[in-house]
Amino acid sequence: MSFVFWTKIVPPLEIMILWFVFYRILVFFEGTRSFQVLKGVTVLILAFIVSQLAGFDTLNWLLTKLFAISIIAFIILFQQEIRLGLARLGQQHLFNIQLEESEIMAIVEEITSAVYKMQKNKIGCLIAIEKEDKLKTYIESGIAIDAKISAELIQSIFMSYSPLHDGGVIVRSDRLVAASCLFPLSDNPNFSKIIGTRHRAALGLTEQTDAVVIMVSEETGEISVASEGRFIPIVNRERLVNILKNLLVGQKTKSI
Amino acid sequence: MKSWFTHNLILKLVALGLAVITWFYVNNELLNQQVR
Repeated sequence: MSFVFWTKIVPPLEIMILWFVFYRILVFFEGTRSFQVLKGVTVLILAFIVSQLAGFDTLNWLLTKLFAISIIAFIILFQQEIRLGLARLGQQHLFNIQLEESEIMAIVEEITSAVYKMQKNKIGCLIAIEKEDKLKTYIESGIAIDAKISAELIQSIFMSYSPLHDGGVIVRSDRLVAASCLFPLSDNPNFSKIIGTRHRAALGLTEQTDAVVIMVSEETGEISVASEGRFIPIVNRERLVNILKNLLVGQKTKSI
Repeated sequence: MKSWFTHNLILKLVALGLAVITWFYVNNELLNQQVR
């Protein structure tokens, strides 16, 4: 009886597991340049299945040969994503295990305060917060600071006459470790034509690492948060605090 | 709960479609192997 029950429950269970795996893969690639490639690969897989079911032997033979070669092409095309995916596998998205929630909130408060003061004065800024993925490469591209984070410090760095105002600052734990850092620019075709360099840098860093980036647009004074290669719109101070809290303490925001 | 279902709905549907197609395809292949 139980065996019959098990054989009935296995197919839907397997489909559910496959659904979850495919969904995670699609979410992982969504919004990146590789997503276009993934769409093409999906069409090829569907064509292969249809050709086999319909008995198109010639087409099926060609596609089988194509798939054999495409394994190498797949590794080359998705090199970066495979590396990132494997690196993130099993990682817990915690801000820093050494920090208490109250300490994280104090940092969030300092950043929020600085961001809103800069928005008021239309001063552009780019603040990256390190999570699990280390930002050593980007820290080395800037000027080492290693100071306790404060709203005043962030504001003074981004003043237009400051020699450090170009590029972004990186926050690790409760320290502002470096300023004037260069971030990788996103080449996401959905964004690259409509957004400025600062936004592309924010997007690029969050595509390649799990960092959270907060930025203020110099032109519009608009505040945005970038995470996992996406922008989260900020409408007010409370929302910014909530989003940062959710992203840094480990829960997911509903908007992502 | 409602927002979980509606959020990224297209991706969820595409993933479900792929899951169903893959399952039936692989199952068919396994059955063919058993028959041989």
